[in-house]
Parts: sequence; structure tokens; C-alpha cells
Amino acid sequence: MTDTIVVNELSKWFGAKVAVSELTIRFGPGVTGLLGPNGAGKTTLMRVVAGLQRPSQGSVSIMGQDPRVTPAIYEKVSLVPEDEAVYERLSARSFVELAARLAKADDPRGRAQGALEQVDLIGSADRLLGGFSKGMRQRAKVAAALVSDPDVLLLDEPLNGADPVQRAHLILLFRQLGADGRTVIVSSHVLAEVERMTERVVAMVDGRLAAVGSVADIRSAMTDRPRLVFIEASDNRRLGAALMSAEGVIGVHIESSRLRVEAADAGDLAKRLPAIAIENGIGLTRVEPADESLESVFRYLVEGGE
Amino acid sequence: MTLAIHLYRRVMRRGRLIALIALSSVPALPFWLSAYDAGPGEAEMLYGDIVARLGFSYAIAVLILTVAILREERDAGTLPYIYMRPISRESMAASSIIAGIGAALTLAIAGWLVTFTAAAAVGISMSTVTAGLVQLVAAGVGYAAVFVPLGYLVPRSILAGLAYIVVVEYILAEVVTGLAQISLWRIALSISADIADNPNPGDMLSAITPGVGGGIAKLAVVLILGFVCLTWALRKRDAL
Repeated sequence: MTDTIVVNELSKWFGAKVAVSELTIRFGPGVTGLLGPNGAGKTTLMRVVAGLQRPSQGSVSIMGQDPRVTPAIYEKVSLVPEDEAVYERLSARSFVELAARLAKADDPRGRAQGALEQVDLIGSADRLLGGFSKGMRQRAKVAAALVSDPDVLLLDEPLNGADPVQRAHLILLFRQLGADGRTVIVSSHVLAEVERMTERVVAMVDGRLAAVGSVADIRSAMTDRPRLVFIEASDNRRLGAALMSAEGVIGVHIESSRLRVEAADAGDLAKRLPAIAIENGIGLTRVEPADESLESVFRYLVEGGE
Repeated sequence: MTLAIHLYRRVMRRGRLIALIALSSVPALPFWLSAYDAGPGEAEMLYGDIVARLGFSYAIAVLILTVAILREERDAGTLPYIYMRPISRESMAASSIIAGIGAALTLAIAGWLVTFTAAAAVGISMSTVTAGLVQLVAAGVGYAAVFVPLGYLVPRSILAGLAYIVVVEYILAEVVTGLAQISLWRIALSISADIADNPNPGDMLSAITPGVGGGIAKLAVVLILGFVCLTWALRKRDAL
């Protein structure tokens, strides 16, 4: 696989805040999911790769060129920014046509028509963007990105605000673009979303690389790591003692009014917990699994890697 | 030109434009009130003096419009749509300044037409009012070359621009000859004064000798500096 985008020892900071820290990664043709919780540095990475922000340290090249030095590379590179920002007083058609003209595309009108068809927005093409829903704006932005027929497509949370039908349509479109041999990077904080587009995933946390691999690897990390469950019972101390000897329980901590239980498999614990409680004559008031977010999975991956 | 036209259209919002044309037309009413019963020679002097003194309202209107050329794109988050296009940074800088000059000229012509109407009502000669238009056009070109880069580079650009117009041009340049030499308003005034054959309109030129050639040369230098500065900023600074 040829590397289209090479990110080398990249750091980006804003004052004292480090948004991306010493990141080295390569992207090639096909769809790659860029996963991470909010604030992980995905948007900053996208912006630096796109040339909108300069690296504080390290380098970025797209097809061997530095986008900040060679604007001509933008004939082949497009970004769909995360912001909802669009030209509110332009119609979707004018917006996409403007993008085509600025990209110096032949037949801007024809190109705009084609791009609007690709995102299924032709029926609303002559309406002002200011009146569009968030999902429709996203599709207009995708059309503006596609109008120059780019080889590299950077999509920052492109499914935000899209309804299920729109999501399905866009996911299919991105997969198709990847299958055509384009380099497509899709950032998201929703694993299930990325899973529908690609098997290849790059995970980021706190500006650092948490994992590179397949969605299966991430899923496996989610299954393998200890899970936290909070339990409130009629007698927390006795239930804690009983759980200490239970199979699959890694640790029990008694907090002020509840137990914090670390289990190898939260599902297995949930199945066995009622029997343990009945056996010891303890009433269960509340059982609450915690720490289920993707963010916690990423944090676990980062901590595990240290 | 696509980019220049897009940037020009974007800042030309109807409500804002009407307000700024009104601001650019400020000299018309005081001129008409003070000149309607004056003799022809006195009215011509009054025209030169009032446009020279109150024309700063035009400078403020141009400031508001021209700093918005790239600043609004940046603030609204739409800058990536123009920045990430295969356009050289030199071309982008030139397009932005051209859009700024276009916006300034729109205000110049609209503001001048209102002042012209007042001037025509009291029978002022065409050469005098033409010099007024030249004054606004020349100042507009200079201001656009400075304020477009300022809008991109400085977060509180209107405040910084106002400080320049009010403090430097209106107050300090009155007393410091060196500052008068680099005052954009006075450079434009030196061109129009030469055309109108009025050596010192509004007593504002002090040590500056009126002259079309010298004024244009100074404006050309300002344009080149503005272009170089904006090109540098587009290359070196974060776009978002």
C-alpha cells in the first residue's frame, strides 16, 4: 500500500495546551477511521494535515508535498470541516459551484450538479444553506469537497446531525470513494459509525496515538479490559466480602454508599450477582455499569501501552 | 477573479452597506448647511475643507468593510472553503485586496454622489467635486491595502484601525510632520489638492506638497507592502 499522507513526529500546541503530541502515522488509499473521544486531537490533526494549521513540531506531507508550501496540492485534497459553518446566504448549488470554480474545475455547473446528486441533495439544491438542517449542511459540505474529484478526502465528523437515512447514504458513499482507491480519513467518536465504513482504525486520546489496527482490535480491547460496576445493596460490606471470592471479580472497593466492583466480564457478573445476593440474604438496590464509553476504552488502551 | 468577487459580495450585506454609505455621506449635510448661502468661491473652499476634515467618516466606513474581507471568513469558520483551493497565496492576497478596494470604491462613489448632490445644489464647479471623488478613491485604495491584512492578522482589527484613524491620522499627524507624511488620508488629500488647485484643504497638508505623481507613488508603496504582508500571513499563520 502506497502512503498518501505521512505524518512525522507531529506536535501541535496552543500556548500551554498540547493538542497533538509527537504523532507519527501514515495513511494510504481506502477508508481509515480516526477514532477518539472529544478533545482527543482529531480535529487538530485533520487541520494540520489539511494545511490549515502549521505544525508546532514535526511535518506533514500529502503525496510528497507540504500543503502549506504547495497550495496546488489542493487540486487533489479536500476537507469537510467539523464546524457547521457554511455560507448561509448561498444556495447549496451556488456553494458547490463556488467550490468548483475556486478549484478551477472544468464545467463548474456540471460538476456541481454531479456532486449534489452524489450526496442526494439535488431536490434542495436551490434552497439557501441558512435554512438547511445540520444533516443537510453536512451533505452540502461533502458535495463541495467532492466537486473537485479529490484523491484525498479528510472528513471531520461528517455524520454529525445526519438522520439515519442520510447516514446510511453517506456511509455507502464514503465506502465507495475508498473502494475507488481514494484516501479517505473519517474522524468520529462513535465506534459503531466507523465500523460501518472501514476495518482500519487509528485511535487517539489526549493528542497521542492510542491504537492502530482493525475495529476488531478495539472491540477486543473493550472486551478484555476490566469493567466497572457500581452496586448499592442493603449490606454493602457483606456483599463486598461475598463478591471478593466470586469468579471473575478482580477487585472490590467499598465507597461511602456503594460498592465499586471491577470484573473481567460485566455481563457474567450481572448474571451471577442476583444468586450471590440471595445466597447471602442481601437486597440489591441499584446495579449500574459504568465506564462504558469509548473514551474509557481509549484511556485504557493508552494506560495499557505505558 | 472568482475569489475577489466572492469576497466582495460576502461583505456587501444590504443593511450594513446602507449604514456605511450613510456614514460615508456625513460631509454632505454640514457642507450644504454652511454653503447654501455662500458665494461660489467661498463654497468651493468650504467643499475642500469639509471633505478634508469630515471625510474621516468615510475612512471609518471603509475600515469596517475592509477588515471584514478575510476576518469574517475566519470567524465564521468558512475560510477552509477558500484556503483549501489550488490558489497561490499571492493570488489569494491580491484577490482579497482587490475585493477590499472594490468595497472601498463602492462606498467612495455612493458617499461622493450624496456630497455631489449637495455640491451641485450650491453650484460648485465640476473640477472641485471631481477632486473630492479622487480623494475618496485614493484614500480607499490605501485603506484597503492596510485594513485587509489588518483584519486577517489582528483579532480586534476594528479597534486597531480606529486607533490608527482617530489617534494617528486625526490627532498626532496634525502635530507630528513625520506622521503626516505617512498618513493615508493626507496622501490622498495631496493628490486631490493638486487636481483642485487648493494647496492646503482644511489646513491638513502642513508639510506635504500636493502632487498627483508623489501621492500615487506613495499609494503604490502602501499597496505593495499590504500585499507582501498579507501573502506572508497567509503562508505562515494558522488559517483557523
